Amino acid sequence: MTTPSSPPHHDRLSPPPFDSELAAALAIVAENIPSSLLPEMIPGLQSGAVLMRPSDDDLRRGGAFEIEERTVPGPEGAPDISLLICRPAGVTGPIPALYNIHGGGMVMGDNRTGIEATLETAQELGLAVVSVEYRLAPEHPHPAPVEDCYAGLVWTAEHAEEIGVDRERIIVGGSSAGGGLSAAVALLARDRGGPALAGQLLACPMLDDRNDTVSSLQMAGLGVWDRTSNDTGWTALLGERRGGPDVSPYAAPARAEDLSGLPPAFVDVGSAETFRDEDVAYATRIWQAGGQAELHVWPGGFHGFDIMVPQAAISQAARAARTDWLRRLLAR
Amino acid sequence: MKELAGRLTALDPDAGAAVRVIAYFDRLLETRAGLEALVRGAAVLAGCPARLADEKRGVHIKVDADGRRADDEGPADPAWLSAPLTPDGPPALWLEREGPAGVVDAMVLERAAASIRAVLDRTRGSAPADAAGDQALAEVLLDASASETARLHAARRLGLRPGVPARAVALAGGQALIQSVPPSGAAPPPGDPRAGVGPAVPLLGLPASWSAALVALRLTAEGTEQDPGPRVVHADQMGGLAVLAAAIGPGSDPIPDVHALDRAAAAAPWMLATLDAVASQSSLRTAATALHMHHSTLQDRLAHAEQVLGWSVHGPQGRLRLQLALALRRLHHHAPAAAAVSDRPG
Repeated sequence: MTTPSSPPHHDRLSPPPFDSELAAALAIVAENIPSSLLPEMIPGLQSGAVLMRPSDDDLRRGGAFEIEERTVPGPEGAPDISLLICRPAGVTGPIPALYNIHGGGMVMGDNRTGIEATLETAQELGLAVVSVEYRLAPEHPHPAPVEDCYAGLVWTAEHAEEIGVDRERIIVGGSSAGGGLSAAVALLARDRGGPALAGQLLACPMLDDRNDTVSSLQMAGLGVWDRTSNDTGWTALLGERRGGPDVSPYAAPARAEDLSGLPPAFVDVGSAETFRDEDVAYATRIWQAGGQAELHVWPGGFHGFDIMVPQAAISQAARAARTDWLRRLLAR
Repeated sequence: MKELAGRLTALDPDAGAAVRVIAYFDRLLETRAGLEALVRGAAVLAGCPARLADEKRGVHIKVDADGRRADDEGPADPAWLSAPLTPDGPPALWLEREGPAGVVDAMVLERAAASIRAVLDRTRGSAPADAAGDQALAEVLLDASASETARLHAARRLGLRPGVPARAVALAGGQALIQSVPPSGAAPPPGDPRAGVGPAVPLLGLPASWSAALVALRLTAEGTEQDPGPRVVHADQMGGLAVLAAAIGPGSDPIPDVHALDRAAAAAPWMLATLDAVASQSSLRTAATALHMHHSTLQDRLAHAEQVLGWSVHGPQGRLRLQLALALRRLHHHAPAAAAVSDRPG
């Protein structure tokens, strides 16, 4: 299907209401983030005006973490990539690690974007965090971003001992585009016989370039990362191929025919966001393929609500659910 | 992206921030947010812990600046920024930060308090704020024959917390007041009527505290020339006077000493106040000071008083006799109220 131009019967689709606290905060937190992101806005966003970049001190969390930037080989024939490695200070011996892939619609952000919440969880559970810097679209279309992410994962697994990580307990995870890339990396690892992952944490993941679900139509012009923004992001990644017949599942995991044999998945999403239907479908298809998934749909949540409004009651619940899943996963 | 407070203060404080604070709380009200969301809004917009304490409605909510509920609250610091829920009411919403309030703080307090009031009126009704509603709840709580469930429910509605002792206060005129102990700033009743204060007890023991408070009320006085004495009597300081009170019923005849006091009262306007001072002060010198008169004037007046009474009040025994006569006179004046609240007059 190509860019459907709001068919008439969808004109009056009423969206689910936002959660009360999220709605009140939306005007304040998202005033710099228009619901609809257009291609010409990408350069401005990449310059970092919107996404606050935590300092090294922020990452150390008062001495709880030791941080290190490592330059490691990228995909074959491609430039090196950078990994931000955050280890709980003073902890020896192999510990589980979260391999973090940042969000930003495939077109913005860096390996520190949104990492503070991840470090908070990691500190609570005693995890290392390895966050990958991948090349961004549109300058670097598919497969550059996902191959960078995969190369970083392979390096992390192969050098696990060197960086004090238990290679049997690496969980890949991320939010939004980072969630989509995490799902793609899990598919790649399966199909290439790569590192065995302990789990995949897909927070409101960006999975489907077709952008034609009911939720994407319902939320057009509303909230954060609406249908237009999604179109902008996918087109940056895929160009003309977006929505067409030959899109790789490693670009858009919703395209994968086979979702069996994947590591246990955690999927969460807001009921009031573009990605709701594709994310629910992805979890459902994992179950249908005999896999394990935990799905949370947070009522009235807009895209990225727990990162943008962490104080809201529903955001606290969403973050607690993620932490609980990690704790259960790692207790095995 | 995380600090709402930082975003607000970064805005033009005179216009931008205020407009956003107003819009934030308006939006919460439109979407029928609960009290906790409103208190959390105050905390995250101001960037410091916020708490709501409405004793009358039994509402206690504290939220930290990161939005987490925290109910381990100590007493509120008077230096914190605060706002009442009603124009003349006591402080009920606090930002746990000392003043002076910035533009954003002041706006947050004002809008949060107004929104909280609107939600309280919607969800809990304004009934508990009126005295009749409180009296009905108090009557249930003080009625030993009511079920424990009903009494504990009434306690909760009155803002009493389980595990915190409380006491019943009997006010002249028949009203009952229930206070947690130590009192948490419950406003003193208007006009300070005479009051008998019952002992502090667990919530289910309040009927007994009430009975004792009624006895204590009988021992109070108006504190006027014609009825001198304490306006507030604590039951746990009555000692043997409680036994005396039980002996004086509506049909009891006053003993001659009480008639003697009445005669003395009729003899001179200063008489009863003078005798009360002598009975309650530790010496004649302190009694003279309390009465604002010269020591020798007091001596002259006492000579007159002793003539009318028929006994000397200079010695310990005479003073005890005087104290008992004064107490008996009050007990006769304030006929015993019935034990049950529901039977009380008026």
